[in-house]
Amino acid sequence: MDKNRVVRELAAIVGREWVISDPDELTVYECDGMTFLGRTPPDIVVLPNSTAQVVEVVKLCDRERLPFLPRGAGTGLSGGAIAVAGGVIIGLNRMNRILEIDLANQRAVVEPGLVNLALTQAVQKHGHYFAPDPASQAASSIGGNVAENAGGPHCLKYGTTTMHILGLELVLASGEIVQLGGKTLDCPGYDLTGLFTGSEGTLGIATKVTVRLMRQAEAVKTLLASFRAIDTASEVVSEIIATGIIPSAMEMMDRHIIRALEEWLHIGYPEGAGAVLLIELDGPVAEIEAQAGQIEQICVRHGALDLRIARDEQERALLWRGRKGAVAAVGRITHDFYLQDGVVPRTTLPQVLREVDAVAQRNAVVIANVFHAGDGNLHPLICFDSRRDGELQRALTAGSEIMRLCLSVGGSITGEHGIGMEKIDFIPLMYSPDDLEAMRRVRAAFDSSSRCNPGKLLPAARSCGETHVSYRPHRIEREGLAERY
Amino acid sequence: MHSEHLAGRLAGIVGADHVLAAESCAPYTVDDRVAEAVAFPGDAQELSAVMTLASAEGLSVIPWGSGTQIGLGGVPAKVDLVVGLTRLNRIIDHEPGDLTATFQAGTLLREIQASLHRSGQFLPFDPAGHERATIGGILATNSSGPWRHRYGTARDLVIGIRVVHADGTITRGGAKVVKSVSGYDMNKLYVGSLGTLGIILEATVRLYPLPAVERTWIALFPTGEAAACALAQILHSPVVCTRIELLSSVAAQPIGEQAGCRFPERSVAVAVSVGSVLEAVDSQIAVIEQLCRQEGAVTEFLLEGNAQDSFWKAVCDFPAPSGNARSRVTLKASVLPTDVLDTICHAETTAHRLGLESAAIAEAGCGIVRLCWAGAPGAAEPDPITIAKGIDDLRSRVARRGGSLVVLSAPPEIKAGVDVWGPVGTALPLMQALKRQFDPHGRLNPGRFVGGI
Repeated sequence: MDKNRVVRELAAIVGREWVISDPDELTVYECDGMTFLGRTPPDIVVLPNSTAQVVEVVKLCDRERLPFLPRGAGTGLSGGAIAVAGGVIIGLNRMNRILEIDLANQRAVVEPGLVNLALTQAVQKHGHYFAPDPASQAASSIGGNVAENAGGPHCLKYGTTTMHILGLELVLASGEIVQLGGKTLDCPGYDLTGLFTGSEGTLGIATKVTVRLMRQAEAVKTLLASFRAIDTASEVVSEIIATGIIPSAMEMMDRHIIRALEEWLHIGYPEGAGAVLLIELDGPVAEIEAQAGQIEQICVRHGALDLRIARDEQERALLWRGRKGAVAAVGRITHDFYLQDGVVPRTTLPQVLREVDAVAQRNAVVIANVFHAGDGNLHPLICFDSRRDGELQRALTAGSEIMRLCLSVGGSITGEHGIGMEKIDFIPLMYSPDDLEAMRRVRAAFDSSSRCNPGKLLPAARSCGETHVSYRPHRIEREGLAERY
Repeated sequence: MHSEHLAGRLAGIVGADHVLAAESCAPYTVDDRVAEAVAFPGDAQELSAVMTLASAEGLSVIPWGSGTQIGLGGVPAKVDLVVGLTRLNRIIDHEPGDLTATFQAGTLLREIQASLHRSGQFLPFDPAGHERATIGGILATNSSGPWRHRYGTARDLVIGIRVVHADGTITRGGAKVVKSVSGYDMNKLYVGSLGTLGIILEATVRLYPLPAVERTWIALFPTGEAAACALAQILHSPVVCTRIELLSSVAAQPIGEQAGCRFPERSVAVAVSVGSVLEAVDSQIAVIEQLCRQEGAVTEFLLEGNAQDSFWKAVCDFPAPSGNARSRVTLKASVLPTDVLDTICHAETTAHRLGLESAAIAEAGCGIVRLCWAGAPGAAEPDPITIAKGIDDLRSRVARRGGSLVVLSAPPEIKAGVDVWGPVGTALPLMQALKRQFDPHGRLNPGRFVGGI
């Protein structure tokens, strides 16, 4: 590639100030929220301001046979926004406008760079909100949420991002603009909006997103229960669901998280607490009052050490404070951590958590657990110190054992963070070669050139190799923890 | 291949008792085209072997559950082999604490519900014909009913899937957990694809707990405008409804009768159901009642128990089978919730111009309007081309407001004059590319899906 010429041509499309090619400046883009499995800067970053500019940039990449990938806020946790094959990163941060708000029909049309929380802020005075609430919502973009099918605590009741996306405008790798879905439901044809959501930037670039807005519930009730053992707390989770209650969120923290939080924020969890369960209900007042009563009985019956119920918004924020600070608090007990994202059927939680403990012991690492208990989405934080020899390897081994454990009970290796580059060598543990071949056909239908975010989501079949990524063993593979199929 | 010879080959796979040939295929007719043979595989391997045979012999394949939605889609280009799925009828797995269950595709929804009810749970699917429908058929057509207001449709509830492809390969997507972003969401690809990419073999779905109490409030209004105002008020209140329906005056009368309610003539009905604990049901029904009265409701009914069940069954099964099927069409318009009333009125005007009567009911909060056009008793039958033109007229009106119109069922001579799906715009080349990737020889349901897929 004649880099100078490509930079000039990109500058002609978007303006010189919106093209980044200086190696120092490019280091900002060498990784996303996944920082330790290899950093690769792109050759060029370009920041278009309109669909038309995205089309021109993509067409230029096509002519120059350059790989490219879209990037929002770079908060992803599986390396989806890392340019593993070099090429061009198309940053969508300037395309952050709200194009339409239709409250009567509870819809909005936005550009992909809009920050998740900004949409809720724009509509909350009218009693509405955008439901997906990943932990990154104050920073992550809606386009990124679409790419990763982002989750969050409240998707227990309201579903992940895919349930809230009704339509998309895409720019395909060929530079064609395609409209999928729309403001109305059940558009005829294949559900390409649903297929695109969660495709990790491998099928094209979303340049407009039509979303569903939700009405705020009449009331919210937040409860915090502490238990001596995590087994008991897990049984409480299953019993609440089996009773017929679907809370809007059910979040759990284990003894390591509790200790880290106590040292930092002095929240005052009861002495001897081995697990803290945060439960949130929303809906009509009469309904959530009755459900809170039932939950209280279940907690008492299981020997809760403590049960707190928030009386107002301030107390609610206090109960959430620990949960929201949990991952940050772990920074106080470890130098580095490797965050896992497996999902298991919630009835298997007690058994799986015991086995996660065994994994920690076997590999001589501390594993702290904070997770979306209601939908069985674990977030084990595997603690290690990258400065010490062998610790990263032990953490990676523990991570791979946890993924296998989740699969052994019928679960998934990732609930909301995605495959990206991080788990690309683990997806064959979950799906057969034929299953993966069906996914490759999807990719081929959208992008026959394989130039759109290569090296992500699907491992290149060993025999035919992707055009733009020469086969090189993933770090996990080199260390003998996984095998390429 | 001759019907007899084909039947022999199929019998070698599924057993002679599970193959139909020649005249006995008559019930397996799609738009007046009769299958050469029908095979009923008993497990995944048999289904796979049947597909491999069809692929080798270049036969077109029509998957068939219980046939409740067989009228959906364009007239098939070719009908060689019908694959009946009703022997694949096992409930594979149900874990109440996980609120998930896995079923084989041919399992009847009725049997699924009976089994789930024993654990106080249910699968919130209530499309037309749901008493007889199979889970696989509901998924393939993504058909829905009033419950979609609260629970969404199959595309929102399916979390795992197994599919047999045109060449007999079996693949899996998703998982048995409510949340997974491992690879592409293949569930979304197959749900609603009308069996054109593969035959659904089994599916894992999210379930919901049965509400402790459920009641339905029905209010009758003298005009559609008053009913629409009441609906908008309810939709923008904090009330959480499980179902919220608008029934045009033509549709309301017979449905009211089935539930034992005497609705005043020429009145438009709004029906809302609320499910929760008793106190919450009562307090929310009180809010609905007040909002309806403010907008001028003239007659009201509060239903529960059997009367409530009969009412909603009639709503789901709308339109009830009637007299002359040769001029009867059923349509589904998908519009913005604020355009529901306009769509119903425009459909009535268009139908009257053709000499037909239009009945409409709508999942109002979702903007789904189900329409039935039929000849008035004793009136002259309009010709099929005129009816097809009328459908196109209504479709242009709906499309101008960003909506879509699909013909759910119509006699073949009307289908010949109208694209049953309507245009799918710039996405069509992508859909055709997917079809080529998954079924390169066009064997599965050829010609029945959008754009001739």
